[in-house]
Amino acid sequence: MSYNSKKNISSIAAGILIIAAYAVYAFGERAPAPDDLKSWATAMLVFIGIGVAAVIVIQIIFHIVLAVGIAAKEQDCNGKEVERIISSSMVEDEREKLITLKSAHVGYICAGIGFIAALVALACGWSAVAALHILFGTSAVGSVAEGISRRVLF
Amino acid sequence: MAKKLIITNNIRRLRFFANEMTQLELAEKAGASRQTIIALEAGKYTPSLELAFRIANVFGVPIGEVFECKSEVDNGNDKS
Repeated sequence: MSYNSKKNISSIAAGILIIAAYAVYAFGERAPAPDDLKSWATAMLVFIGIGVAAVIVIQIIFHIVLAVGIAAKEQDCNGKEVERIISSSMVEDEREKLITLKSAHVGYICAGIGFIAALVALACGWSAVAALHILFGTSAVGSVAEGISRRVLF
Repeated sequence: MAKKLIITNNIRRLRFFANEMTQLELAEKAGASRQTIIALEAGKYTPSLELAFRIANVFGVPIGEVFECKSEVDNGNDKS
């Protein structure tokens, strides 16, 4: 499995973890009242912040584990050789940029569908909180779908 | 109707004749990732003109010796 595939899996895992954590909060006892727009918006902002921090922490842990794994596998090689293997696996070339663009497109499509769905929900008389949930949910699913499409394209 | 182009390459053969150059060595010299070289050799990816020239420069051969282009109509009957 290549470096990019492993990195993608860790990103997807982080995304799924955040969605699961939000679902636990939203369906739990400590969830705000269904019509309390301000509390829901605050909760979503907090979860977005937690999501960004979680992705950074997971990526740092992933890189440490990767470096240790390569060093353990290449015990015969010296430090420079291990460094060479790690740096060559992290090269971002034109193919990776192309795949990033294609997978970002998947994320945009999900977010776009979410926006239209939220508007439809509002037009049908649903509450603003429901529309907010649709927007947040589709954005979160979109980021996971982006990671999955990157994994598939690699 | 414009004919569909099929681009093939001789990277595997050229690596063999370049003293069994590894994919990693070629990737480093051409400024690409090893995954890209693997995808190129498998015919799953067509590189940009810049990368194609860089690969040709690594082997010291003209670009036409690394990449070949065949044209084919959509139904796949007419190959040239």
